[in-house]
Amino acid sequence: MNWHQILTIARREYLAAVRRKAFLFTAIGTPLYFGFVMFVSIGPAAKEKLSALKEFNVLGVVDSSGLYSHAPNEIFTDLALAAPSIGAPMPSQMVRTQVVFFPDMPAAEKALRASAVNQVLVIPSNYLVKGALRRYARSSNLFSNADRQPIATWLVQGMIGNSLDSLRTARVARPTLGMDLYALDRNGQFELKDGKRDLVDFLLPFAFAMLLGLSITVGGQYLLTGVAEEKESRILESLLCTVTPEELLGGKLVGLGAAGLTLVGIWVAMGIPALGAAALAVKPTFPPGIILIALAYFALAYLFYGSLMTGIGSVTNNMREAQQFGVWFSFLNFAPMIGMSLLLAHPSGPLATGLSLFPPTAATAMMLRLMAPSSVVPMWQLGLSLGLLALAGWLALTISARIFRVGLLMYGKTPNLPEIMRWARTP
Amino acid sequence: MLEIQDVTKTYDGVAVVNHVSFEVNPGEIFALLGPNGAGKTTLIRMITDILKPDSGSIRLDGLPPGPERRRRVAYLPEERGLYKRSKVAEVLTYWGTLKNLSAADAAREAKALLARVELADWSDKQVQTLSKGMQQKVQLCTALIGSPRLLILDEPFSGLDPVNVQLLEDILSERRAAGATVLLSTHQMNKVEELCDRALMMHKGRMVLYGTVRDIRRQYADHAIVVRAQGVLDGLPGVRSIEVFNGDRKLVLEPSATTGSVLRAMLDRGIEIESLALAELPLEDVFVKVVREGLGMTPAQDVSLAEPVAVGGAR
Repeated sequence: MNWHQILTIARREYLAAVRRKAFLFTAIGTPLYFGFVMFVSIGPAAKEKLSALKEFNVLGVVDSSGLYSHAPNEIFTDLALAAPSIGAPMPSQMVRTQVVFFPDMPAAEKALRASAVNQVLVIPSNYLVKGALRRYARSSNLFSNADRQPIATWLVQGMIGNSLDSLRTARVARPTLGMDLYALDRNGQFELKDGKRDLVDFLLPFAFAMLLGLSITVGGQYLLTGVAEEKESRILESLLCTVTPEELLGGKLVGLGAAGLTLVGIWVAMGIPALGAAALAVKPTFPPGIILIALAYFALAYLFYGSLMTGIGSVTNNMREAQQFGVWFSFLNFAPMIGMSLLLAHPSGPLATGLSLFPPTAATAMMLRLMAPSSVVPMWQLGLSLGLLALAGWLALTISARIFRVGLLMYGKTPNLPEIMRWARTP
Repeated sequence: MLEIQDVTKTYDGVAVVNHVSFEVNPGEIFALLGPNGAGKTTLIRMITDILKPDSGSIRLDGLPPGPERRRRVAYLPEERGLYKRSKVAEVLTYWGTLKNLSAADAAREAKALLARVELADWSDKQVQTLSKGMQQKVQLCTALIGSPRLLILDEPFSGLDPVNVQLLEDILSERRAAGATVLLSTHQMNKVEELCDRALMMHKGRMVLYGTVRDIRRQYADHAIVVRAQGVLDGLPGVRSIEVFNGDRKLVLEPSATTGSVLRAMLDRGIEIESLALAELPLEDVFVKVVREGLGMTPAQDVSLAEPVAVGGAR
């Protein structure tokens, strides 16, 4: 192996990849797209919830139980408590909902259809025994349940009458509203587990595993398409007169892996301003050496997947065929993301441990385990996972180099599995 | 010098290259001929170290396969391709650095080569913007950069217009004069007759013809002479028949007659001879004859005919 040749090839592959318009478009366009999606979905969602509460002005009630004959005819709701925001805390703001009683359902329905009331609450005669209630509205959407809380408060107030003051009534209606949970973090310190923390606890492992998986897949895809393209355009034969297949494979692995890392690096850099503010608010803790561990997993998993992708690229006849085969390996890489909730809930469970030791899923599964809240992965498992992945990467490289050497010069016919196996066995 | 010694390559029990031996000297343009599927490409891939022979040896300037030998060899395959989105000069510089030139030297040589093939104005253009013929000249430059000792060209003339064919012939002559060995694989027999010192023809993996181009043509010549002369040739002793074409007359001789005996008979008759030559077959006819009729060297003949002939002896 001649390192001058490998580095020369790596440099060309890297520059050719990052200079493409598609690279620039993916690097800049992807974060912008996701930022735009977040902006147009999360922000309006919170606003919709608030506006649903603000517009809840009149509640019609048909009480067949007789339990609410003395219930108050208005409800006061604090928006700051009923619809807490994800960002900065909202100042207290009370909204009033008038309660109008109707003798029967037809009268209430008429008022609802005429928009005289926003909703109609029907309290059946056996409510006390069965607990069943019905609500009628002119329409419904994702945020129709935003006004459940004001109704719950009114039901409690109506039930207990004037035996409690308004403060106690509010507490009875939502007794756990202000209950905080403190749990040990991975440094052994108790930390507050509120809504924001829950979000970060979910998003941080997701982001780490996703970025690692993407950098492996992007580099692998570049390799797959690069080899298939060179084979299709018949460059390889004259190139192989100058360099060995192993040097060509090595140069491509290094150059295109670096291009994949550059892409993810740009995404991370673009995400820092947005994520940085959120991270500062909750001060997340990271396992020691997480960046080094992530880089080690990237290098080994990329070696594994990149080698496989190169092998596929060299036995197929064109790019489309290569991509059809390659997509299955990408699915395998991201498989742990499917069971992400389970892995985060039980980071030391048999599924999480098994997936983090199995080489094809090790990188993303271990990232989820490492970043799961309060999770501490035993060192021996980390070492074994990296060792097995390194072994799998070496095997994939050796076998792919053999397939690469023969497959590059085969044109017109995609070899069958026995043929590929025979090439793989030939030293 | 390129030395091929008893090289064999087998696929699935079939000898694609079967005990092939020959030598090519420095400064020689050598033709590798044969019908499709004869084993030429496999042989070339073994010379370029892309494939390993099952047996036999291949040496260039005494060097076995390895990085040092690889640096001395350049190959222009028949199926060609370039990095279409890259700039012309960048592609050549890349190839030059792979040939162990420094980036500066590679860029300098790329510039000179592009000027030589009349593409200097295209150096900053993307390869995909060039015509097919221009791309072919760029590909030729990838083979020429780094001044290889052995230049292997597979069908280098296909797709080139007559002006560029002449340009390529000139470049090959320059390389030959500089001491490079040129191995030319082509089906254009007129180019072989025009350019090559010697030739090897393969058929079904075996060597069937090997020697100077003239010797090969003579070997398959009819037992006849072509004469341009004043006087009556009818009835000459030893002449079976006479064919007239383009002012010349082709005398087909009796099996017992020789060129000398017929020449003496003409002189005795007082015929004034302007020119006389053996009636050689064009190389193309030899090619067809060998392939169609399964002629050429038998295994027993391999040893004697495989002896290399002195360079330039037939030219």
